[in-house]
Amino acid sequence: MEFKLEAHRIVSISLGKIYNSRVQRGGIKLHKNLLVSLVLRSARQVYLSDPCPGLYLAGPAGTPAPPPQQQPGEPAAGPPAGWGEPPPPAARASWPETEPQPERSSVSDAPRVGDEVPVATVTGVGDVFQGGEADATEAAWSRVEGPRQAAAREAEGTAGGWGVFPEVSRAARRPCGCPLGGEDPPGTPAATPCAACCCAPRPAEDESPAPPAVCPRKRCAAGVGGGPAGCPAPGSTPLKKPRRNLEHPPSGGEDDDAEEMETGNVANLISIFGSSFSGLLRKSPGGGREEEEGEESGPEAAEPGQICCDKPVLRDMNPWSTAIVAF
Amino acid sequence: WVCPGHCEPLSWCPAGRRACTDIISTVEFNYSGDLLATGDKGGRVVIFQREQENKSRPHSRGEYNVYSTFQSHEPEFDYLKSLEIEEKINKIRWLPQQNAAHFLLSTNDKTIKLWKISERDKRAEGYNLKDEDGRLRDPFRITALRVPILKPMDLMVEASPRRIFANAHTYHINSISVNSDHETYLSADDLRINLWHLEITDRSFNIVDIKPANMEELTEVITAAEFHPHQCNVFVYSSSKGTIRLCDMRSSALCDRHSKFFEEPEDPSSRSFFSEIISSISDVKFSHSGRYMMTRDYLSVKVWDLNMESRPVETHQVHEYLRSKLCSLYENDCIFDKFECCWNGSDSAIMTGSYNNFFRMFDRDTRRDVTLEASRESSKPRASLKPRKVCTGGKRRKDEISVDSLDFNKKILHTAWHPVDNVIAVAATNNLYIFQDKIN
Repeated sequence: MEFKLEAHRIVSISLGKIYNSRVQRGGIKLHKNLLVSLVLRSARQVYLSDPCPGLYLAGPAGTPAPPPQQQPGEPAAGPPAGWGEPPPPAARASWPETEPQPERSSVSDAPRVGDEVPVATVTGVGDVFQGGEADATEAAWSRVEGPRQAAAREAEGTAGGWGVFPEVSRAARRPCGCPLGGEDPPGTPAATPCAACCCAPRPAEDESPAPPAVCPRKRCAAGVGGGPAGCPAPGSTPLKKPRRNLEHPPSGGEDDDAEEMETGNVANLISIFGSSFSGLLRKSPGGGREEEEGEESGPEAAEPGQICCDKPVLRDMNPWSTAIVAF
Repeated sequence: WVCPGHCEPLSWCPAGRRACTDIISTVEFNYSGDLLATGDKGGRVVIFQREQENKSRPHSRGEYNVYSTFQSHEPEFDYLKSLEIEEKINKIRWLPQQNAAHFLLSTNDKTIKLWKISERDKRAEGYNLKDEDGRLRDPFRITALRVPILKPMDLMVEASPRRIFANAHTYHINSISVNSDHETYLSADDLRINLWHLEITDRSFNIVDIKPANMEELTEVITAAEFHPHQCNVFVYSSSKGTIRLCDMRSSALCDRHSKFFEEPEDPSSRSFFSEIISSISDVKFSHSGRYMMTRDYLSVKVWDLNMESRPVETHQVHEYLRSKLCSLYENDCIFDKFECCWNGSDSAIMTGSYNNFFRMFDRDTRRDVTLEASRESSKPRASLKPRKVCTGGKRRKDEISVDSLDFNKKILHTAWHPVDNVIAVAATNNLYIFQDKIN
C-alpha cells in the first residue's frame, strides 16, 4: 500500500516534470526526459501491480484483491473483480503482443487513449476517430470481446466501489474515441463500454518488464498520433498521421522529413498531457466538454480496471489524481 | 604526497561577486596548467593565468589572476524549430600549445568554436600612410619613407574565433574531446558522436549513432565521450544506462559496434524507482596514463581498468547517505545533477563534487578519502581546509553536519586538477575556488 502511495506520488511528480519541460529554455532535454519516463514507467508498474487498487482513490471499503490468476475479463469474484482490479502481472506480459490497438492509440496504457479524446476533439479530428479508428478498434478487440463483454455486463449491474462502469448504459462514453452516443447493439464490441476502448484488454494483459522499456514509450508516441516514426503497431490506422499533423508538437521536433531534435515519445507525451491537463483542470461547462472530460477520465479509470468512470466521482477527485491514474 | 586535507586556498577569484547568470558551467586547466579556463551560463569564457614566481611578491606564486574574458557564445533562436539555443558553455577543452598563442574549443548545446587567445605587447609605430592618430595621410604629402618600428605597449590579450563548427548536432552537445593527434576532435550529443578536423568546419564524420529507427524505442542516450590520451584511434562514450563503450576507429568507419563494453551488474537488492537515474553516468575521464578510466554516476565514482570489462577495479562512494533521499532529490531535480570527476597529475588521486559545496578526494594508494568544503568562511587565504563530515544518523558530533542540513542548492559539479601540481580548481555555483597543497 505504501508502495502504491509512493508510486502515485512519483507518477504525479514525473508528469509535472514532463509537463514543465515543455517550457524549458533550450528545448526539451532528451536525457532528462528519458530518465523521467523510466521512473514513470517503474512507478506505474508498481502502482498497477499493487494489490490494493480500490483503496487508493475512491476509498470504497474492502475491494477484494483478485486472485493472481484471475482474468480480469472474466466475470468472476463479484462485480469489482472484473474491472476493479489491476491486471494480474502474468496477464500483463502478453498484453503488448496481443493488443496492437491500445499501443496504437494509447501512450502507455488505455488511459492514454482516453487522453486522446480531448486532443482529438480539440483538434477537430474526433470524427476521424469515429471513422476508421472505430473500425480498427473493433477489429482489434473482437477477439477479446467475449469475456470482456461478459465482464462489462457483470460490472454493469453493480455499483460497488469504483471498479464499475456505470456508463455502460451511457453509450455515449467512449473513452477510446469510438463512435459516441447512440445505443449500440449489445452484440457489438461497441456496446461494451470499455471493450472498444484500449483499456478493455488491458486488464487481461500485462506488460512484461522487458517490453515496458519499449511499450510505454511506444504508446506514448502512438497516443499523440504515431510519433515521429509513425505508429509501428499492426492494426494502426493511417488516420493517426492526420491527427498528429493537427497537433502542435511542443518541441517542434516531430517531423519525419527533416531531422529535428526528436524527443519522440517524450514530446508526444507532453502534448498529450498538455491537452489532458487543460481538459482536466478546466471546469466543464457541461455538455460536450463535460463529456470530453469524462471521456478522458474514463479510460484512465478503465485502464487498469481500477477506477470508476463515474463522472461524479471523478469530478470530486483531484485532477492530478485523475491524470496520474490515467497515466 | 600530502594528505589532501591540508589544501590551502591561495587565490580568491573575484568571480565571487559575479551575478547569477554567471553560474560556472565548466572548468579546465590547459596542458601546462598555467592557464585555467572557465565557462559560464551566460556564454562567457574567463581565463586565469598563474602568476610566475616573483621576488617582490613571494606569496603570489601560484595565484591565478584573470587573463582574458570574452563572450564565446550568444543565445540563438532556431526559427525553424521554434527553439531557443542556450548560450551556456557546456565544455571547454584546450588544444596543446604549438606556438605563442593558445587555442581552446568551447561549445554550447549546438555549436563548437575554436578560439585563439594571443597576447599583444608591441605596437607598430611610424606608419607611412597614416599618422599616429590613425588618420590617413595624403600620399602626396609624404616626402620621406620610414620603416615602422615596434614599440612596447601594455599587454593586451585578445581572443578571436578562428573556427566555428556548427549545424552538426541535432541534439544537445554534452562533450568535446581533443584527439592525441592534435588534428581532430570529437563532439558528442545525446545520440551521436561526430569527428571533426580542426581545420575543416563545413564537414564532420559521424562515428557513433545510437538513434533508433523508431524513437519510441529509445532506451539510452550518450552522456559523455572522450578520446584516449595516447591512442588516437580509441575513444570511449558513456551512457545513461551506466555502461561505457570503448571504440576503435580503425575497425570500422561507424563505430556503432564497440570494441569493449564496460558494465557492472546491478545489485538487485538496491533496486528502487530511481535505480536507472542514479546509474546514469555523468562523466567519464581517462587517467593520464591511459590505462584506466573513471566514471561518475550519481552516488559514486568508479575506476575501471581498460583490460577488464566486467566490473570496475575501484568504487568510491561520494555521498551514499543520499541513497535514502532519492525521492526528495528527484522532486527537487537534484537527482539529475551531472557531477564531473578528475584525476590528479599522477593518477594517484581522484576528485569529484557533492552538495553543500562539499567536494571529495580519494587517494587511490592509501585508500583514504576526505571531504572538503569550498566556501568563503572556511577558505580564508592561507588557512587550511578542514575536513568535513556528514552525519548519517544517530548522534551528531559537534563538527558534523546532518544530511538534512545539507544545502542542495550549493552543488559542486565542476572541478579540475592541475596536470602536474597539486592545485585544484573548484566551481561552486558562481564562485571559483582555487586551492593548493601546502607542502608544495
